[in-house]
Amino acid sequence: MINTEGFWRDVLLFILGMFVIYQILKFTVFKKIKKPAKASGIAINVMIALGILFLFLKVYLAVEIPGGGLYLILNAIFGSIVQVCVLALATTGIVLIFKTSTTTNFAQGMIATVAAFSAAKISLSIAARFPEMNMSYVVLIAMFSGALVSFLLGVFIDVVIIRQAKYPTPVGKQMITMGLVLVFTGLIPIVFGTLPLTVQKLSYADNISFTIGDSPLRYNITMHAIYSLGITIVLLVVLFSLLRFTKWGLGVRATASNEMVASMMGVNTRIITAMSWAIAGLLGGVAAVILAPISGSLQVSMMIPTQVNGFLAAILGSFTSFAGPLISTILIPILTNLMSIVTSTWQNAVVYIIILVIVLVKPSGLFGKQVAKKV
Amino acid sequence: MTYKTEMKQLRKHRWDTIKHHPYFGFLIIVFLMFAVQLIRLLGVDVPVAVLRAFGSTMIFTIIALGFSILLGYGGLASLGTAGFVGLGSYFVVYFTNQLEFSIFLTIVAVLIVAVVLGTVVGFISLRIEGMYLAIITLGLSEILNEVFKRATALTGGTTGEGIDGIIFFKNLIAVDHNTVFIFISIVLFIIMLLTMNIMKSPTGRALLAMRNSSSAAQAMGVSIFRYRLLAFIISTVYAMLAGVLYMTYWSFTIPSTWSLGFSLNILAAVIVGGSQSIYGIILGTFMIFGLDLAVFKQIQFFVDNPAITIVLNGVLIIVVIMFYPGGLIRLVQTLGVKLKLWFQKLKKKWRDYYYGSDIE
Amino acid sequence: MVPILNKLQILWYEKRIGNHQTKHDFLQSFLPIRIQELNTKKDQKLHHLSLKKSHTILPYEIKANIKSDYWQTVYEYETKKIETKYYWRLRALTQAMKRKQNKSDHWSVEEPKHLQKIQELEQKKQTELAKVKAKFVVNPSDLNKEAYASNNEAIERAYQDQLAQIETKYQNKIEQFSNRANNIIAKHKERLDYYHRKLKIAEQEKAIYPMDENVVLKLDNLSMHFGGLKAVDQLSFEVKEGEIFGLIGPNGAGKTTVFNCITRFYRPTGGLMYFRNNLGEVVRLNDIVVHDIIKEGIVRTFQNVEMIWELNVIENLLVAAHTSYRSTFFGQLFNSRLLRQEEVVMRLKATKILEDLDLSAYAYVYPYGLPYGILKKIELARTLMVNPKLIILDEPAAGLNDAETENLAETIRKIQKEYNATIFLVEHDMGLVMNICDTVCAVSFGKKLAIGTPKDIQGSKVVREAYLGGE
Repeated sequence: MINTEGFWRDVLLFILGMFVIYQILKFTVFKKIKKPAKASGIAINVMIALGILFLFLKVYLAVEIPGGGLYLILNAIFGSIVQVCVLALATTGIVLIFKTSTTTNFAQGMIATVAAFSAAKISLSIAARFPEMNMSYVVLIAMFSGALVSFLLGVFIDVVIIRQAKYPTPVGKQMITMGLVLVFTGLIPIVFGTLPLTVQKLSYADNISFTIGDSPLRYNITMHAIYSLGITIVLLVVLFSLLRFTKWGLGVRATASNEMVASMMGVNTRIITAMSWAIAGLLGGVAAVILAPISGSLQVSMMIPTQVNGFLAAILGSFTSFAGPLISTILIPILTNLMSIVTSTWQNAVVYIIILVIVLVKPSGLFGKQVAKKV
Repeated sequence: MTYKTEMKQLRKHRWDTIKHHPYFGFLIIVFLMFAVQLIRLLGVDVPVAVLRAFGSTMIFTIIALGFSILLGYGGLASLGTAGFVGLGSYFVVYFTNQLEFSIFLTIVAVLIVAVVLGTVVGFISLRIEGMYLAIITLGLSEILNEVFKRATALTGGTTGEGIDGIIFFKNLIAVDHNTVFIFISIVLFIIMLLTMNIMKSPTGRALLAMRNSSSAAQAMGVSIFRYRLLAFIISTVYAMLAGVLYMTYWSFTIPSTWSLGFSLNILAAVIVGGSQSIYGIILGTFMIFGLDLAVFKQIQFFVDNPAITIVLNGVLIIVVIMFYPGGLIRLVQTLGVKLKLWFQKLKKKWRDYYYGSDIE
Repeated sequence: MVPILNKLQILWYEKRIGNHQTKHDFLQSFLPIRIQELNTKKDQKLHHLSLKKSHTILPYEIKANIKSDYWQTVYEYETKKIETKYYWRLRALTQAMKRKQNKSDHWSVEEPKHLQKIQELEQKKQTELAKVKAKFVVNPSDLNKEAYASNNEAIERAYQDQLAQIETKYQNKIEQFSNRANNIIAKHKERLDYYHRKLKIAEQEKAIYPMDENVVLKLDNLSMHFGGLKAVDQLSFEVKEGEIFGLIGPNGAGKTTVFNCITRFYRPTGGLMYFRNNLGEVVRLNDIVVHDIIKEGIVRTFQNVEMIWELNVIENLLVAAHTSYRSTFFGQLFNSRLLRQEEVVMRLKATKILEDLDLSAYAYVYPYGLPYGILKKIELARTLMVNPKLIILDEPAAGLNDAETENLAETIRKIQKEYNATIFLVEHDMGLVMNICDTVCAVSFGKKLAIGTPKDIQGSKVVREAYLGGE
């Protein structure tokens, strides 16, 4: 079984050791390098990577059954695929809005929930009209029509509400999204009724099941996870290539760096922000539909934990880049599942503490650039 | 004659000085709260929901006042309020149920813990700023919430935990809501005085300087380190104190109350009311926390459709933020001025009509 | 002695000196304010008493003579009151009558009713007037002259007693307060002398930084590198006491960086900076934290004005005096007496500064929307709140028009003269620099090109090359 004796002691010792090494490096190596800030950033990232590897190793060693360590770790990774997909989509939406509107969107989760509810309704009506249709197609169509709803909702919020505000400050916009949360919380039961709704999984085909080496332990991956991974990857690849190679992407990056200058340079920031809200809504909608079948029937508050995690992931990976948050969205669910092997009650708290410590050590996030303040 | 008129003026002047004294309004508010209780004692049936609404508004106003010093004066955003308030309430649970300590001892312990926690968050705020700080404090609050949920031996787990009464000196005394109500209004009065003093003092000005530009503030001798810590300590102390009061008033606490939603509500109360005005904050807190119970729950239509009240509340927040960025207090001020002008106009019209238009 | 002990000793003495100095200064400025306050209070009370007296004690001639001016005015006042009262009432009645007249179908029936009403009111008025008249027609012989006079005398004596009492009471109060305050001031002075002596003895062992007598600020090979960029490179110069020192150079020459190094916003890569502080001793600026720079007597302004928009102008000034407050946080929390006294002193000081700079009209205005020139002047005024030894101005004339620049130059000269401050400025406006500066230093790419009087710099070939490019 699992032997956690001395586990936390070793982890603390490791962190202490890393701290000492960093201090030594700071006073010996970094002083002589031309760009000490960059070097120390890289060093901290290497140390964090080492720390995560160390955690994996400790968990592996803590399991006393032969081959069991690898099994538990790999299972933790395979088990968090859906969560990773959901988190990645949601976080990308949050970061996109933060970049163009300089505000954290608290309504992101609620918009997504609306999408999930409408997807459930749509899938019901499709299934009633075309009973012989394949369930996967039904869910796919429902998913994208739900995402379309949230897409339009995003545009609506930006154009009708946020943009009409007088002298909007970042905190003011935040409060508007917070008001939207309340509005949606009230509206969902009115619009969609109070009967429990469910969204089907993307596929109910047999799980992929395999063994590694001679070990008799079998690994299972659900088809739902595989499909969601596919959809997520396609969506994100499309989004990133849009950001990288199109005029819109250039506009987003220009708006993110300075909205005023961008609009003076002829970038239509209105369309850019509206599109970012729309795309963020779309991503959130897809995420909610993927998440919906995991937790049973739909609930108004189903996206809140995801949203909190999304904020933390965005901070961990830095709001300034897209790749950073993506990597942290992969890290957070996997670490949570890994920690639940060691302690079944405190896994969330431990992961939050890890994130807190990392952000304290590196305030600009894992992959963020530090901006020098001008006096 | 001259003497008489002069004395008259003097008396009027004295009344004016009293009327315009910064503490006068607070006194009126507390007096109104007392009056509500008096009316109830006289036999008039005040709905319980209204009393509860006032009670919780008063408790949450304390938190919002601390938050206003943090956000409106220090310019530091935090979403960790819920965790601290919850911690305060759980302290009461633990100290009353398990240690059987007096409430006064609990308050002392809570104050010490609040100072320590505030210092910790203050240190964090030295490294991280703005929206990042808000999200990190949110993480801190989530950790605390996890503790409330998981440490079942201390907190009673996800189903929550209550107290049967308060231990003042030795014996457990069952709480009477109305006594606690009066106690809370007195505490609120004191807190409002202290907050006003801080806001008007050199400390308040230094905090404002820090909010406007940290480098200019430093050039004027304001230590960022000191004042950030101070702002966080003040807000944490207020929040945890409010947690204790919450527990004495409601006698029950549950982890799901102390989630992100609560922190956002406090933030909304401060922003909606007007982040630098005490009266504005009272208005904002009432709008967020009290309006539902005190007004909507009294109307049959809203009792039948509870979802509509939530929607209305959200729409109110959005409308206020969209069109009155200075907060409700600005709205009230402009309305007051307009009403005054309108009233004067009406008076003149009436006189013209009654006495004839060729006055003068 | 052991160096560390010596250092601690010096620190302790300096702290004591600072403490006593602030207390001493505070009391000295508070004493006249308090005395004035008490005096006005006294005057107010005396005034009220005299008013009361003048009303109650009337000479026999006036009291008995109904035709005197006094009684006439009283009579007029009373009758006028009644007349105005009835004027409005009658007016209302006639208005109502007119309104009815147009609407009513059988006016002839109603008219007498209205007329009767008006008549009744008229009668009422007449009776009241008659009453007042009766009140004021008194037979003078009713009043016993001697009894009245003796009565008056008794009242007069009582008043005199009261007056004397108030006078002595306040005199005592003022005397007591000033005695106490003077005692405390003397004590502080004694302690100050003592600590100054001690400090001198202790400082003999301390490493004394090399600096000439009349120099305020000295930079010694200051360098500041950002990565590979050398913003300031081995720069050294001296600023003499009481002069206006200008630092000029093309864009990107590192002028503002020098300022930021002096005020410790940046940590210089190399080099030392010395400063002669308010106590007259030389300190090394490299050892001081950014928010403590102001305590040594260096204040700065910023390129773009940094106001606190939520506070009015006078409170903006008070922010700079932030370090001079002695009341603790808890004192401020409970609005202690000390805080209130300090607030009065500081506000008066701020008002005086605003008056000196012709800004008193803006004292209670919020800075939002004020013209740029005024904002710059307010920033200048703010620097004066702490009795600065050295004022650092970062491009004071940027964004100002010619008239405003002219005004600014005058203000700067005034400050230099009246507040005995040394001024160190960076400026692009050559007219201003050549006009007001005593010494000018030109830098380019972080290196010193030339230093001298404005004329020397104007004639310098190196400087011209740096600005206009080589031949």
